[in-house]
Amino acid sequence: MLSLTDIHKTFFAGTVNQRLALQGINLELEAGDFVTIIGSNGAGKSTLLNVIAGTIPVDQGQIRIRDRVVTKLPEHRRATGIARVFQDPQAGTSPHMTIEENLSVALTRGRRRWLRPGISRSRRQRFREELATLGLGLENRMGHRVGLLSGGQRQAVSLLMASFTRPDILLLDEHTAALDPERAELVLTLTQRVIAESGLTALMVTHNMEHALRLGNRLLMMHEGRIIHQLGPAEKPEATVDDLLGLFTSAKGMLSDRTLLN
Amino acid sequence: MALFSGSLSAVEQGLIYALLALGVFLTFRILNFADLTVDATFVTGAATAAVFITNGHSPALAVLAGGIAGALGGLITALLHTVGKIDPLLASILTMLGLYSVNLRIMSGRGNISLIRADTMFTPVREHLGTWASVGLMALGVAGVIVILLWFLRTDFGLAIRATGDNPGMASSFGVPNNFTKTVTLMLANGLVGLTGAIVAQYQGFADIGGGTGLILAGLASVILGNAILGTRFMVLALVGVALGSVIYRLAIFLALKLPFVQTTDMKIISAGIVVVALVLSQSTTVRSGLAKLSLWRNKSNLPEPMTMVPNPFSPLASSDAVLTEAEIRSHNEFEPGQSTARTTSSTAVLDPPETGRPQSTDTDRPSAGTAKEEI
Repeated sequence: MLSLTDIHKTFFAGTVNQRLALQGINLELEAGDFVTIIGSNGAGKSTLLNVIAGTIPVDQGQIRIRDRVVTKLPEHRRATGIARVFQDPQAGTSPHMTIEENLSVALTRGRRRWLRPGISRSRRQRFREELATLGLGLENRMGHRVGLLSGGQRQAVSLLMASFTRPDILLLDEHTAALDPERAELVLTLTQRVIAESGLTALMVTHNMEHALRLGNRLLMMHEGRIIHQLGPAEKPEATVDDLLGLFTSAKGMLSDRTLLN
Repeated sequence: MALFSGSLSAVEQGLIYALLALGVFLTFRILNFADLTVDATFVTGAATAAVFITNGHSPALAVLAGGIAGALGGLITALLHTVGKIDPLLASILTMLGLYSVNLRIMSGRGNISLIRADTMFTPVREHLGTWASVGLMALGVAGVIVILLWFLRTDFGLAIRATGDNPGMASSFGVPNNFTKTVTLMLANGLVGLTGAIVAQYQGFADIGGGTGLILAGLASVILGNAILGTRFMVLALVGVALGSVIYRLAIFLALKLPFVQTTDMKIISAGIVVVALVLSQSTTVRSGLAKLSLWRNKSNLPEPMTMVPNPFSPLASSDAVLTEAEIRSHNEFEPGQSTARTTSSTAVLDPPETGRPQSTDTDRPSAGTAKEEI
C-alpha cells in the first residue's frame, strides 16, 4: 500500500540550524495496517507524515502508494489517496463554511470539481447519515458554520471528512493532543471505529504511549530522524508502557553514544 | 427636484459600480487576497471598450472585450503570485503599475478617449437615464450577476475556491489545487472590474487613463458597508449587501458634494473619508450590536459575524489564518487550548496555522450576546 525507501530530509541544510529530520527511513505498509508512531519532540514524526502527504519535499528517497511513485507529486495531487487529520482542530476544516459545505469539499476529494451543485439532495442525505455515525447530533446542524463547533466537535468532523471517502492512507498527526482528556478519548474511539469499519491503512503519531499501544496493529518508535524500534502484529499486543519506556531510554543512550563517536 | 434626479443618477452609478464591488468581494472576502489590481484593470476595461467602440464595433462586443481584458490583468497578478511566489499585495501593485503603460498603449498614447458622439449601449436609452426606469433596469442586471455568482459559489468548484480562501492548508489536503482556484478567482474578479470599466466609459461618455484611481477603496467601502448592514452569514445577503453598499457609497459622495463648503475637487478626500468612517464604524461594538438588534435574521443565528476580513492592506493577508478568532472560539466553546495538558505546539510546525501574522481585525469587540454554549 505505502512504501518508503531510504527517505532523507534535512532542514536548513548548510546553516548552523541544520537539522537532520529524517535519516534513511524505510517503511512498508500493507493494506489495512494501522501503525502508531511514538518518539520525542524533534524525532521526525510529523516530518514523516508531511513527507508522505507531500507537504514537504524529500531530499532523497522514494515514496510509492499502491506501487505508484508519488515522490514528486504535489500535495493536492497526492490528496486523491491520502487523507489527513491535523493536530490543530482548526486546521482540518474551513471555519466560515457550513458543515455540509465542508463535507462537500471532502466528498469531491480525488474528483474533478466542475460546476455541479456542491450540495444536492442526495449528497445532503449522505452527509446526514455520515454525521449521524459520530453520535454528536451534528446531523441536525448541517447548515451551521464549522467555526461554531468546539475543538472536539471540529476534530470529529475533520476525522469524518478525512475518512468517509475511504482514502488509501489516513494520516493522523497527534490529532487528539489539543483536546482535553475526555474529548481526546471520544475522538480516539471514533478513530478506532472508523479505521476498523472501513479497513483503512493508517499512520497515527501520538505522544501517549498508552494510546500507541491500545490502537493499531504495528508500532514505530522514532528518534533523531530514524526508526529505532518496531513492534509487529505479533509483539505489539504483549508490550506495555514500561517496555516502551525501557526501549526508549536504552535507544536514546545508544544513539547519543553513536553521535559522540561520529 | 434637481437633488432628487441627481440622487437617482448616483443610485445608477452605485448599481454600475456594484459589479466592481462584487469583484472586490470575490478577492478580498472569498479568496482572502488583497488584490489592488482593480485600479488598473478598471481602466483596461474602459480603454478596451472605448477603442472597440471608436473602431465601430458594437457596444455589446466592447463590454465583452473590456471584461476579457480585465480578466487578463487579473491573470498577470495571479501568475506573479502563484508562479513568482510574490506576496498578493505586492503582486497586485506591480501589475497595477505595469498596466498603466499597457492601458496607454491600448489608448494609443492618448490619456482620454471621448465617446460622446459614438453609439454606446446607453445611446438608445439616453433620455431615460436618471429615471426610475433605468434604475430598475440596472438593478435587474446587478441582480442577474448576483444570482450567477450565488450559483457559482455553491458549485463544486465554487466551494473549492471558498475553501482555498478560508483555509488553504485544508483545501490542499482535500486535493484542491490552490494556485488554480486563486487564478480563476482573480480572473473572474478582474473580469467583473473590466466589465464595470467598459460600462462606465460608455455611461460617462469617455475613457480616462486616471479613471481608476482609488476605485479599490470604493469597492472595499461597498463591501464593508454592505456586509456591516446585511451580514455575511448568508451568501445571498452578503452579495446583495455589497451591491447595496455600492449604492450607499455613491449616494454618500453625491450628498457630500452638495454641502455648501465642498468643491467638486474634494471628491477624493470625501471618498477616503467615507471609507475611514465605514471601517471605523464596522469595528465599533455599539454600531454592530445595534445593527444586530435591527436585523431579525441575526437573532436567529448563534454566530457573531466573523469580520475577520476587515481589510488591513498592511497586514500579511496572504498568510492570514483560516480560523475564527480566539475571542470567538472562547465565547463558543468550553474547550480552552491553554487548559490542555497535552503539548499544543509542534516542533516542525510546518502545517500548523500561523498564530502570528493574523490580520488585525475586530477580534475583541465582537458582540457575543445570545450565543449558545456548545460542546460535545
